[in-house]
Amino acid sequence: MNWNSLLFVIFPYIALSVCVIGSVYRSIYRPFTISSLSSQLLERRKLYWGSISLHYGILIILLGHLLALLLPRGLMLWNAAPVRLYLLELTGLALGIWALAGLAILIYRRFTTRRLWPVTTRMDWLVLILLLVSVITGVWTATAYRFGSYWFTAVFTPYLWSLITLQPRPEFVAPLPWVIQLHVFNFFLLLLIFPFSRLVHIVTYPLGYLLRPWQIVVAMRGRVTPQAQ
Amino acid sequence: MQLDSPVLRRWSIWLLAAVLLAAPVYLVRATSLQQSSSEGQAIFAQKCQACHTIGGGRLVGPDLQGVTQRRDLSWLKEFISAPDQMLASGDPIATQLLAEYNNVPMPNLALSPAEVEALIAYLENPAAGGAGNVPPSAAPAGPGDAARGQALFSGQIRLQNGGASCIACHSVAGLPTLGGGSLGPDLTQVVQRYGGEAGTASVLVSLPFPTMQGFFATRPFTPQEQADLLAYFIWAGAQPAPQQTTSPAAWFWAVGIGGALVLFAGMALFWPRQRRSISEQLRSMG
Repeated sequence: MNWNSLLFVIFPYIALSVCVIGSVYRSIYRPFTISSLSSQLLERRKLYWGSISLHYGILIILLGHLLALLLPRGLMLWNAAPVRLYLLELTGLALGIWALAGLAILIYRRFTTRRLWPVTTRMDWLVLILLLVSVITGVWTATAYRFGSYWFTAVFTPYLWSLITLQPRPEFVAPLPWVIQLHVFNFFLLLLIFPFSRLVHIVTYPLGYLLRPWQIVVAMRGRVTPQAQ
Repeated sequence: MQLDSPVLRRWSIWLLAAVLLAAPVYLVRATSLQQSSSEGQAIFAQKCQACHTIGGGRLVGPDLQGVTQRRDLSWLKEFISAPDQMLASGDPIATQLLAEYNNVPMPNLALSPAEVEALIAYLENPAAGGAGNVPPSAAPAGPGDAARGQALFSGQIRLQNGGASCIACHSVAGLPTLGGGSLGPDLTQVVQRYGGEAGTASVLVSLPFPTMQGFFATRPFTPQEQADLLAYFIWAGAQPAPQQTTSPAAWFWAVGIGGALVLFAGMALFWPRQRRSISEQLRSMG
């Protein structure tokens, strides 16, 4: 056994197991803690610029990673023309920088807004730091080690499938630059802390809204304001 | 005992942790024990033959006939295990070899100590392994077509065995503005660096680079693809160096930051909807 197996075989299995079991445990025994404990009531302006960009940026990029894992053939066909490859890469990079800027705003907000301090836990800081490492190494990879959207299918799709099918092949990760290795390891760290942090709110994505009947909302705020009285 | 008692819960968590820790350790041990120690010849054919011969003259790297007599055994072991670290540490023999062989460093092939032993046993006595059985590097099929090679390189023509096209990681001068990938080295001068056509052709057979091996070991180039790519590399290497323009990385940063600014501008359109809360309005009224 060597470092490579430790970091990219054993650790991922531990992290994934803890993530799944911990999240299930928490949702059964502590169902009302599945939340990000929003601080929007305490500060909403910086939150708008930071939160929207981080969430949409990271969500689309995460879905892109998932797509490369599930449909590598489709991605290779899309990338078969250099123009399409460039378009995909630049879109991904723009979203990554958008998310990075949003994350920077959120970190700045936590630091400078005094009234947020009492509701900020150490785990919140850890989440912010790990996300920062993740997004920085991701943007670094996208610019310095091009073209991730293409070589993902030749390196990480087989690596991740080897983990999923219980025939781990860490040799895919071993020769890569350390920035990319850190990006991967950091993802497993995020999985590990997932059930113990605010990250669990990801599983509460309100898909029910897509199916429920519509409602009429009548806004009164615009019509009667405190100033008007 | 009550099912939800803290003691029971604590013990089940410990048990779970122990199983989680033990299972992957077992998995890794099981895979590494599968390697037999008498596979020197097979390893040579798979990982060394692209660049080395035994008694066939120099290729990309030196002829390995009698290398076990030429070099100190411990040096040889160390070099085969981690040539990159040897070079980085400034080992005099490694440095001299690098200069002698067109500055093409030998990649770290991530061989286990057992595999290195097997290789050295084979190199000490190639005849015992049945040297005649090692097939010579397959020669590319006939003359290649450089235009087809370029299409293979940049992906317009798919690789028959399902490999990712070269542009994913490599660049060659003369591609569109944003060039090719930068995970792997630029291949514009690859034929010159790899000791001419023979050396490059033999590397294209098995692609013995650690980053590529995992994927291409089961998806090799067909002989025709090898010939076409070789023709393309020969053609590309002979072109005059293009005018140095803005680097692709600079383009990437510029467009990426520009794109992020556009996204923020899009957000600004929704900013007026973010009204101040009632409490904020009350507070601002004093």
